[in-house]
Amino acid sequence: MTRLSIDGLTVTYAKRPVLNELSLTIPSGAFAAVLGPSGCGKTTLLRAIAGFISPFSGAIRFDDNLVSISSIVVPPERRKVGYVAQEGALFPHLSVYENIAFGLKTENKSETVSEMLELIGMQKFAKRMPAELSGGQQTRVALARSLATKPSVMLLDEPFSALDAALRDELRSEVVALLKAAKTTTLMVTHDREEALVSADLVALMRRGQIVQVGSPAEVYRNPISPEIAISTGDVLVLDAAQSSTGEFSFALNQKPRSANSVLGKVIIRPEEINISSNTTAGVLATIAKIDYYGHDAVIHLSVAGSPDQLIDARVPAPVDFEVGQAVGLEHVGPVRWFPNPT
Amino acid sequence: MTNSAVTDKETFKSDADLNELTPPRWLSGTALLTLSLAVIPFGYLLVRATSNGFSAVLDVVFRTRTVETFFNTLFLALFVGLLALVLGTVSAWIIQRTDIYFPRYFLVLATLPLAIPSYVLTYTWIALIPSFSGFFAAVLILTLTTTPYVTLAALAVLRRIDNNQEESARALGFSTAAVARKIIWPQARPTILASLLLVVLYVFSDFGAVSLLRVDTFTRVIHTMYKASFDRTAAAVIAIALVLLAVLIIWLERKLRGRQVSSRTGLGTAKQVPVIKIGQYKWAAMLFLGLLAVGSIGVPIWTLLTRFFANDVVIDSASLVSSTLATLVASFSGAVVAMSLALPLGVLLARYQSKISRVSEFSILLTHALPGVVIGLALVAIGSKIPVLYQSLPLLAFSYAVLFLAKAVGSIRTSVARVPKVLDDVSRSLGLTNLETLKRITLPLAAPGVLTGFLLVLLTAMKELPATLMLRPTGYETLATEIWAATNISRYSEAAPYALVLIVIAAIPTYLLSRPDRAGSADTQENMSL
Repeated sequence: MTRLSIDGLTVTYAKRPVLNELSLTIPSGAFAAVLGPSGCGKTTLLRAIAGFISPFSGAIRFDDNLVSISSIVVPPERRKVGYVAQEGALFPHLSVYENIAFGLKTENKSETVSEMLELIGMQKFAKRMPAELSGGQQTRVALARSLATKPSVMLLDEPFSALDAALRDELRSEVVALLKAAKTTTLMVTHDREEALVSADLVALMRRGQIVQVGSPAEVYRNPISPEIAISTGDVLVLDAAQSSTGEFSFALNQKPRSANSVLGKVIIRPEEINISSNTTAGVLATIAKIDYYGHDAVIHLSVAGSPDQLIDARVPAPVDFEVGQAVGLEHVGPVRWFPNPT
Repeated sequence: MTNSAVTDKETFKSDADLNELTPPRWLSGTALLTLSLAVIPFGYLLVRATSNGFSAVLDVVFRTRTVETFFNTLFLALFVGLLALVLGTVSAWIIQRTDIYFPRYFLVLATLPLAIPSYVLTYTWIALIPSFSGFFAAVLILTLTTTPYVTLAALAVLRRIDNNQEESARALGFSTAAVARKIIWPQARPTILASLLLVVLYVFSDFGAVSLLRVDTFTRVIHTMYKASFDRTAAAVIAIALVLLAVLIIWLERKLRGRQVSSRTGLGTAKQVPVIKIGQYKWAAMLFLGLLAVGSIGVPIWTLLTRFFANDVVIDSASLVSSTLATLVASFSGAVVAMSLALPLGVLLARYQSKISRVSEFSILLTHALPGVVIGLALVAIGSKIPVLYQSLPLLAFSYAVLFLAKAVGSIRTSVARVPKVLDDVSRSLGLTNLETLKRITLPLAAPGVLTGFLLVLLTAMKELPATLMLRPTGYETLATEIWAATNISRYSEAAPYALVLIVIAAIPTYLLSRPDRAGSADTQENMSL
């Protein structure tokens, strides 16, 4: 139960910032996900919190205790952080038991280890060597190894990215449940938007060394602060739009006329916010160009009548009763997210 | 945004390279201590050489004899380097990639010469051909001695290069020759050049062969001056000149080597490379390997065995046993001291990029350039001022440690670097200090490579001659010094039993090092050349 606060953190590499005045606070016991494309500096952030690197400036606090200010750092072994790296990073020369017991200094070591083995459901694997475990089992053991030391902050570096899809979802919900039950403040970095949205209480979107938006998963999905950021939480349609002096919007999906002195900008729409109906008089007339069928839903690519260059993707749940070439009516059924062009 | 360039860099530069914490004090402290010990000999020589003023230095440098010696050394290195390069790469290619019979036996034959010191090889050739001497004799001997270094390096590269790359290139329409030129050579170049450097440094520092063959290279001249003991300052000047020449060559190699490229891009394991069918040429290829083996192993073994069984010599078994023990004790303690001195340096270089590591790298380079004669010269002079150390076993062990520090550091550095850094990180996050992490994670995982490095230093120390001659305690005879004493007065039969024993015990680590399946040996083969 520790609050993690990062304040104006700058980490440089070759005199250029990799983290640029980054600030982020994670309330005690929360599960936070830092979501960003590869190369945005998210792993660097994790390493700075763990104490593996020394920052250029800024502060990191666990509750009210400074662990890092400017380039003065508390060494990692005195921070009580749990660190689960990609693919687990188990010690290959130690058995599962020895891996979990590694950070334990207490006398009732074996008791704690068996508790942990039970927690991850791997009591029978104590004597196995890491090479004899599957990827998912390795991740579980790595988690148990960290949890055994009762860390104040848990850091997860894309812990599920090496696993195949089916296993990943299952293990992820299991791990998230474990950590939330233990009420351990957790920071997970990932480039997988679904992973971030599904598991976290708090999603922090990261770009070029900075946190650009923080909020609950629903909030960051529903109210992106820019078109660029909207893409990081899900598929979007970015449509040219105009706002009249009376505040009316006009864009491809409502086809309201533009007034002469309107402000130009963009409107962002999520593909599932478009209703398609075979009734061609409902809303805007369009033709189906292509259907990508995913099973549980489908993405339908449409070209709007009158502006054939304007391709629109809409997501519809299965069953899909449309076919390519069909004329349909489109209706927009969500909020209008308006971003005026910079002047 | 200017930031994007940085973040791009971050994606392919691993995060581990960013703003590493500075090395802990105990590590940089011990590393600096080790370094200062290691540069003592060079420092002493520098002081000694300039003690009579700069004009005296120039005097010695521009003597006709010095200039001649310079060219002798340089041309010898050039000839031997080129020959070893060609013979070694061709041997490796034949062994690794063609369908000759018994490739495994030829592999052993190609590496076994490492167990035979150049002075033993030389004297067996002289025993066979009494008129054998001079520059080209030295070229032949040193080529036979050093070719295995190139062969091993080239073998390691050929094993390492991913066959998928070759197949992809062939699929793109490149011929075998074009694949060799465009795919294999660029990846092989750093390793091959490094082995070539090793050959050149070997020639620079060789003392036994050139002395027996009466070729005046720097080492022989220095030793003669030391023996005559009238002009220690001049000897120091020439020693410095030799070291500088070696440093220049090392620097040149670094420039030429270029960027080390990773050879495996995919995650999959490297596939078995299909052999190339060379048809009737396989007999020529086997003859080629056979001739090399005859010259480098056949001649010495044949000569030694015939001399040994010739009955014209009484074997002094007591001295044989005591000198064998002396060799083992001296080389073992040398290897232990070398590995202990190298440990902090190897770890520092593998894990941290700091000012200290750059200084270390340069100093290690310097010790790498110090031939045994030069170390001997310096330590004799230092020892003569400190009676406790003079002609003592610890000083001899220390001389081995300095001589082979580069090898030792290289093997520790490579094997530590192969332990993923993330394991250290995890251990630290679990509450272990730097030192505890080193003891419980890094070193246990690096152990096979470190052990191989130990074997390598042991092997080299067993064969060492000039420093042993100059630094051993009075009456302390090793196999090397016994062989030297007998051959120097042309008693070739007397030397035979000592030489046979030396070859047999040196063959054991050689065999272990040449086995490709042995953990860490592939690293070492590449790493023998630092």
